[in-house]
Amino acid sequence: MAVSVSTVDSTSKPPGDVELPTTPDDAERRVPPPALVGGTPAAPAGFAAVKADNREGGFPTLWLIAPATLWLLVFLVLPLLGIIVFSFWDTEGGKLIADPTLEHYRDYFYTEGFFDSESRNFLTLSVFIRTLGSTFYFTALVMVLCLIVGYPIAYFLAMQVGSFKWQMALFLLCMVPFWTSYLIRAVAWLPMLGRRGLLNELLLLTGVVDKPVSFLLYSEFGYVMALVQIYVVLGVGPIFFSLAKIDKAIIEAARDMGATPFQIFREIIGPLSLPGVAIGMIFIFVMLMGEFATAVVVYGGKASTTGTVILNYYAIANYPFAAVNALMLMLAMMIGVVIILRVVDIRKEL
Amino acid sequence: MTTKQKRKTERSSSRGVSRRTLMGTAAGAAAVGAIGGFPAIVRAADPIRTIGLGVSIINEIQGQASTDLGFPVRGQALGYGAMFGKMLNQNDQYEIAEGYFNDMDVFIPSKVWQPIDTTRIKEWDKVTNLSKTGKLTPESAVGQGDAPFRHLWLDENGERVDGPSRYISMVPAWHNADSIGYNPEETGRKIESWAELLHPDFAGRVALLNVPQIGVMDAAMAVEAMGIMTFKDKGDMSKAEIDELINILIDKKRADHFRAFWESFGQSVNLMVSGEVAIQSMWSPAVTAIKAEGVPCIYAFPKEGMRGWHGGLAISAKVTGKALDQAYEYINWWLAGWPGAFVARQGYYMSVPENVKKHLEPEEWDFWYEGKPAAKELPDPFDTIIVEKDEVRDGGSYWDRFKNIAVWNSLMTENDYLVKRWTEFLTA
Amino acid sequence: MARWTPERRRRTWIKGGFSVYYVIFLVFIYGPMFAMFVLSFQGRRGGTSFPMRGVSLHWWEKLIEPSTVGDLQGALMRSLILALIVMVITALFSTMLAMAFRKRFFGSDALFFTVMAGLMVPGVLLSLGLATMMRQLGIPTNWWSSGLGVHVVWTLPFGFLVMMAVFNRFDARLEEAARDMGADEWTVFKEVTLPLITPGIVAAGLFGFTLSYDEFARTTLLAGANNTLPLDINASMTQRIRPTLFALGTASTVFSLFMIGLFLVIYTALTRRLR
Repeated sequence: MAVSVSTVDSTSKPPGDVELPTTPDDAERRVPPPALVGGTPAAPAGFAAVKADNREGGFPTLWLIAPATLWLLVFLVLPLLGIIVFSFWDTEGGKLIADPTLEHYRDYFYTEGFFDSESRNFLTLSVFIRTLGSTFYFTALVMVLCLIVGYPIAYFLAMQVGSFKWQMALFLLCMVPFWTSYLIRAVAWLPMLGRRGLLNELLLLTGVVDKPVSFLLYSEFGYVMALVQIYVVLGVGPIFFSLAKIDKAIIEAARDMGATPFQIFREIIGPLSLPGVAIGMIFIFVMLMGEFATAVVVYGGKASTTGTVILNYYAIANYPFAAVNALMLMLAMMIGVVIILRVVDIRKEL
Repeated sequence: MTTKQKRKTERSSSRGVSRRTLMGTAAGAAAVGAIGGFPAIVRAADPIRTIGLGVSIINEIQGQASTDLGFPVRGQALGYGAMFGKMLNQNDQYEIAEGYFNDMDVFIPSKVWQPIDTTRIKEWDKVTNLSKTGKLTPESAVGQGDAPFRHLWLDENGERVDGPSRYISMVPAWHNADSIGYNPEETGRKIESWAELLHPDFAGRVALLNVPQIGVMDAAMAVEAMGIMTFKDKGDMSKAEIDELINILIDKKRADHFRAFWESFGQSVNLMVSGEVAIQSMWSPAVTAIKAEGVPCIYAFPKEGMRGWHGGLAISAKVTGKALDQAYEYINWWLAGWPGAFVARQGYYMSVPENVKKHLEPEEWDFWYEGKPAAKELPDPFDTIIVEKDEVRDGGSYWDRFKNIAVWNSLMTENDYLVKRWTEFLTA
Repeated sequence: MARWTPERRRRTWIKGGFSVYYVIFLVFIYGPMFAMFVLSFQGRRGGTSFPMRGVSLHWWEKLIEPSTVGDLQGALMRSLILALIVMVITALFSTMLAMAFRKRFFGSDALFFTVMAGLMVPGVLLSLGLATMMRQLGIPTNWWSSGLGVHVVWTLPFGFLVMMAVFNRFDARLEEAARDMGADEWTVFKEVTLPLITPGIVAAGLFGFTLSYDEFARTTLLAGANNTLPLDINASMTQRIRPTLFALGTASTVFSLFMIGLFLVIYTALTRRLR
């Protein structure tokens, strides 16, 4: 660990100073964490608050957050500020000109002929907003499917597999496809799902179909299935972790008291796994909203995602407009994450 | 699969292996250590760094350059987007940019490359008029769009000038003319017009290139050939023209005309080999690759003409002194013939054909440039046989092919608008 | 115990059902990899899609030869090293951050959303923003410096959220008990906290490794003169795609499965010795 021993010594307090909470209720005992999403006002400001908390023990907060904060400052915040700034800049022949303009934002939102009842575009939203909308549509659809497909797997790993050893092994088995570069996996979609692909061969062999079907690939069906296939594991992981933590004794107790499996799930397992679900859904949500490669490879480029729009404008060196699209995408993602966290406050629920 | 397409076994690879080993040593001199770039790597000499696509950045080529020139040349191959971004934004990270003339509307004003002094290009006089005037032969038609000659001439400050001058933006090198590739067994007929790309007979079996700037040109060639639309200049369409064209395409897409849109060379090969598409806009070496995989594929030679593109070698504005001398040496080496012969075996052409001829066997020259039947089996650059005896290259001779370039790959004035409408097309 | 038999039978059925579902799930998520396995043995005249043109080990042999475009072996090494460094830093940072977030502190909301922003900022633009910044400052980009920087930005939120989940169900009474007995913070961490959160740390690190190894967009302008594996593969697609890629994919899958097997063996041996 990077935290040196000396910094620890200075803050460790004699045990007598600590007001030991005695109530067994976990949630009551701990200092309520600040709201993550601004629903409740944040904790009292100032590092005094940190000091006050230190009576509970633990490493000093400042030391814990400093390295990551510095790292994020250099490699995320500053470049991000740069992106925000040049989204207002003009561009000429691929060169950014520091001449502030709102033009790119106007182009993003405004459709020519929106108010003109004669126009094709009458009351049609701009293509960029529509693209963001369709990206969101696929994201939501795939999230729901991932949850339906993935939850039982997480439940199986956490509740049905007995030993930690096998839990880890079976979970890692789900991760293995990720350790083959997605660019390689992408190439393999065609021989898998194509007209002469393995799946069609199998269908022909078993007599399910009598001639190769083409709806498996380059279709909405294939696209959604591929997205679920690629991202479901990201949801399984966190749900599995949160389920694995549930004290089995509680479930046994409930069962002894005559609770039906459905009641056990609704009252105990479901609520206790919610934080895992929330985290898994956040992972899948942000990955899908930023998705660009699968649409090209599995949908045959027959749909645009905001990710592909950004890449297209990046490729013609219109960086400000790519930046505007990126910032709007980030805004949508931020809203999505906030909504997920509103539903399940991962810091409060547990 | 026809018997004609059946391939003979690969020629003994012993030569290839020994050359590869040799090449490995040469490259080793350039990149010390197995994982180049890690801190504290000591280099024997500062290499000349060159970036580009896998078309020209091939280990054998830069390895041979290192051997011939006596200083290390390090190539970094990238995909198109990554290459474009790096060339434009990081000209301190390469000496040579192996770029493309259709991007010049971005690169000339950005001044990230320096004007190249033609008096330092030894073979400048031998470079054909295709890149200098747009006419390979005096009677050739000049194509619309970003032909090299429209983006070639600069003054010493890097500003555009009309007509021949001492300074140029980029030394024209490899180039080709693209059209349609098709599987004759699937189409059932010979394809001789761009119009076939949108023909209802092939609905659901058509693929189009998904690079808006280029894909839209193939589509424009098609609608023009169908006679449903005309363009003032396909290399620089107006907003109204883009609108009309995209609306036609949207209707076609809604009728499920397109099976897929491809983005990379490899993708286009796989689409045809796997039988997903019967006809698609395509790059010539991809057709060669498909045939090498045993699937019949013909490269159409449409009567309306082809879509040309031209690559070349530029020097970063940051390069001075000894590195600049070496950069010129590398460019001169490209024009001297060896690399031209190398890329010729993949189906690309070079701007100094007479030097290429010196490095090709006569049978190879006759096949690749003259368009004559192969007098014997011919290999690709990696010693794999890809041409059968008596095979004829689709599209005829180099001179036939390039006297009828309808349009060159271009970056249009209304490019931003085009990308916007193309997005709508894909979303439709 | 005869009266428990129906219950036990029911449980066995449920477990069996889940096991079957798990196997189906595995087949599903391995999806295109089956085609990849088969095609890695493609004949030497064949390509990366069906039909097979004979069967050979040709493309497996090619795996150790220098490639035509790019430098597959070097790029693979770079990506592995980078992913390992990212893994360590991700595990470390996300543990530290999650420990800090056990308490309230000034700016915790801001920090939380800054970490999350790493998930959301589109890769190519982060790459562009940082590259522009570094160019202004005259700092060269390299896969092990700027590349590492953005990779951690990308992987940290994953590790962080995993660790948040770990700590939030964490029984702090154990730590307090240790403090009561006079242990200093470092000892408390080493003896009490660490053993309990180790699975979480491993998970956070795994996320870091996996996401970094696969990362393409963020690296485009930040890798410097040497490609990472995804950049190299992307470049190779400007040429004919060869089944060598599938051999590489199959090899990495086999290697991963072997590592899982190794984990099982080592873990079994360790727990047996502890007993």
